[in-house]
Amino acid sequence: MDLTKLLKDQIYFKIVNFFHENPASIDTPRGVAAWTGETKNDSKRALSKLAHLKILTAHRVSSTTAYSFTRDSKLIKKIKAALKKGG
Amino acid sequence: MKKVKEAGYEEKFFHKLLKSEDLKKEEKILGSFFKKPAWWMIESIKKNLPNFKNTSLAKCKIFKKSTGRKNECLQNLYRAIRKAKNTKQVQQFICPNNISGFCAPIIQGDKIYGYIGLCHLDAKIPAKPLGLFTNFISVLVKDIQKELELSKLYETIRPRAIALSTVHTIHRLISSTLDLEELLPRIARLCMQVMQANRCSVKLLDKERGVLRPVTTIDLRTKRKLYPKELKVGRGVPGKAVKTGRVLKSANFLSVPLIDEEETVGVITIYDKINHKSFTPFDQEIMMTIAEQAVIAIKNAKLYKEQEDLAISSIKSLATILDTRGQAAFIPRTAFVKIVIAIGKEMGLTQAETRSLHGAALLHDAGQIFVPDEILSKPSKLTGEEYRLIKEHPAKGAGMLEPTKYLKPVIPIILHHHENYDGTGYPNKLKGNQIPLGARIMAVVSAFLAMVTPRSYRITRTIEEAKEEIGRNSGTQFDPKVVSAFLKIIEQKEIRDIIEEEYSHGSDQAPKGSDIF
Repeated sequence: MDLTKLLKDQIYFKIVNFFHENPASIDTPRGVAAWTGETKNDSKRALSKLAHLKILTAHRVSSTTAYSFTRDSKLIKKIKAALKKGG
Repeated sequence: MKKVKEAGYEEKFFHKLLKSEDLKKEEKILGSFFKKPAWWMIESIKKNLPNFKNTSLAKCKIFKKSTGRKNECLQNLYRAIRKAKNTKQVQQFICPNNISGFCAPIIQGDKIYGYIGLCHLDAKIPAKPLGLFTNFISVLVKDIQKELELSKLYETIRPRAIALSTVHTIHRLISSTLDLEELLPRIARLCMQVMQANRCSVKLLDKERGVLRPVTTIDLRTKRKLYPKELKVGRGVPGKAVKTGRVLKSANFLSVPLIDEEETVGVITIYDKINHKSFTPFDQEIMMTIAEQAVIAIKNAKLYKEQEDLAISSIKSLATILDTRGQAAFIPRTAFVKIVIAIGKEMGLTQAETRSLHGAALLHDAGQIFVPDEILSKPSKLTGEEYRLIKEHPAKGAGMLEPTKYLKPVIPIILHHHENYDGTGYPNKLKGNQIPLGARIMAVVSAFLAMVTPRSYRITRTIEEAKEEIGRNSGTQFDPKVVSAFLKIIEQKEIRDIIEEEYSHGSDQAPKGSDIF
């Protein structure tokens, strides 16, 4: 996974940056869309991909899927470096 | 503390003013009327008088060369600054080289944030442009103040809004399950995420024994499974939190009792923040809110479990009554239930759908209780009237179970388990997907087991022959998708072993009660 390349896409940058700055946050696509200023559908797609890449953890229940930041410290370090490059 | 915050604010304010592009533009416009204007800006004077080191005055010839003249110049500036401070008005002055300058206080209300000045003027500035400049500074100060207030508000409100949204999401996540085994680890994991903690334990109170029973303990620092011990109420941090009914907080733990009105359900304790920082009062507030939601979710799940247990007991009792009746049409129940459930899972049924299918599999022939024994055990061909009575058993079974609310999703499966995929079955001649999937599954398994079960009045088929027969009727009597799943399942060793074991008891033996529930 090329994080730097992924984070060149603004929506991924915004979402990853949001969770990096707020690692305690757990939110739905609607909530994340509100924090990042993106649309709910675009956020949903990006969140799903980020969960697939294990950058986020998906908490699936019947009514929605919520997302939280990874707890993998090595990955978090990589994310931090990539965000710095992307920023 | 307040003073530190205020100092930070002034620093930010002054920094913004220094970097203001609008101010730079204004300085350029006003400065363009003079040869070599020298702008300076200093923060409000507290103890020490400014030395103008970091201002453009440092480049001034007087400042650079002559100490005596420099002091004279400085005294001149200080006088103007003091006067500006006292009068809160712009002050013009003439420096030792007979050059004009002015000093304007950066003021908002009673508060002076600093002073802005201009030296090296060829002549005194007329009152009007000076007035315009001081007005401009006043507007700029207001703008910066607003910007800082907004930024402060954003910094204060945003984390709280994010936390509130998180708490709301957690509420949705934990209230979406009624399964305690799923709920408790979920609560623990969510608490660890929100608190950014390494460990979380959830203990439930056993009131009769006065102990806290550990139900979930997760520690991200270890991969091995943890086996925490029971804790007496009053012992250890969680025990004390439960005994006192109060939150216990230290640098490395936060223990929150799960209390609903006056009843204590248990306790959540989180340990060790990943950044090694201490738990804060804000963490405590968040955890208390989550705990309030967790109590409701746990109580709902417990209540649901009690109701489910009650319903399961009823189903088991009913199944036992049915089992005690000599049924010539007996189909081995354990094999029937297991194959039905296995097909359901293969076809991707949810947990709730599988549970309904399970109940239906146990009770599918409950309506046979209304059919006289002599008809059920009749070895010869049934008369028209007898067959009519037999055909009534799905509807009678469904009707019998109808008053039990818990069995509501089970009833359509029981009612339609004798329908055929092509619409030739009974009681309603339903076709294809009109027939509930559970009923379509039971139709296949029922037919298969009937073929392989030894009967005194006909030849028993082998498993392979029965499979072929089922395959032949795919798309007519049976749903092809169910047949496909069945043919896959029937090859499993576990299923073959169950069938083998059931038939080793012989067909005339009463079926054993199912232990699946």
